[in-house]
Amino acid sequence: MSSSSPSGSGGELTERRGIPAAKFIQDVETYLSQSGLDPNSALAFHQERLQQYKVVEMKLLAQQRDLQAKIPDIEKCLEVVATLEARKGTGEALLADFEVSEGIYSRACIEDTDSVCLWLGANVMLEYSCDEATALLKNNLENAKASLEVLVADLQFLRDQVTVTQVTIARVYNWDVHQRRVKQVTPTAIAAADS
Amino acid sequence: MQQQGSKSGSEMEVTWEDQQNINTFSRLNNRFHDLDDEIKSAKEKCDNLEDAGNELILADEEMVRFQIGEVFAHLPRDEVETRIEDMKEATCKSLEKLEEEKVSIVSQMSALKKVLYAKFKDSINLEED
Repeated sequence: MSSSSPSGSGGELTERRGIPAAKFIQDVETYLSQSGLDPNSALAFHQERLQQYKVVEMKLLAQQRDLQAKIPDIEKCLEVVATLEARKGTGEALLADFEVSEGIYSRACIEDTDSVCLWLGANVMLEYSCDEATALLKNNLENAKASLEVLVADLQFLRDQVTVTQVTIARVYNWDVHQRRVKQVTPTAIAAADS
Repeated sequence: MQQQGSKSGSEMEVTWEDQQNINTFSRLNNRFHDLDDEIKSAKEKCDNLEDAGNELILADEEMVRFQIGEVFAHLPRDEVETRIEDMKEATCKSLEKLEEEKVSIVSQMSALKKVLYAKFKDSINLEED
């Protein structure tokens, strides 16, 4: 059943966006003899790989949290612009209470208007017409959602590699223990046969 | 969640198919936990909207301050009522979808558990610690 090649099965990625894939080992013994490693070195290598994966996972999780906070923000902005646009024809002003500071609110009277200002970050705010603003915000929302999807896929790939590495560590360790047991039994058997 | 072979000394063959099953189980488990969190926050949002609707019925004013984005806009009562209804419907629908996904994931996970325990018996642990 086990083939002698230690390479990962065909069709799988060898790496994804800078994350190296963990090779699946078909047979521990063949892997160790082909790589020339003794069990302890192999274990150390895989443990280190596991640590590296964990570091990358932390980074990706932080990025995911940022995106997940950004998306509702953009949706809120879209809602405000939509409300203003809906009011455009009616000619009545919109009264809004907004926060000036913690616990302190002030009232604003927003007249009928064609344009809104959008905060673009880096101390830059631009004025747009309502349509342009909606288009820009929708575009940003699409991009954010697409980035989040890619990020989630990256995380899934990474978690798969972590799982493969953990299983490999367990198998190498078990193989090593098994070998030691066999070696212990054999000298005793020979001694018993000699006497 | 521990998935390592814990029985020392036994020579357990792990095929690529087994590895893929383990990977799939891990993915499902992660998604299951994420879903639990999402369902909790969706339920909370649903409850809040329900409370808001009730408050609105009790309130007497014609103009209600309704939160849009970061500001509280003064809107006529009817409009607020409509908006809250729409939000409630959307949230309930997404909550339903999340619950459905959770049920499907639970059944997929138990099917995989059967397969993996059959192959590995004691060498694998698929329970939550």
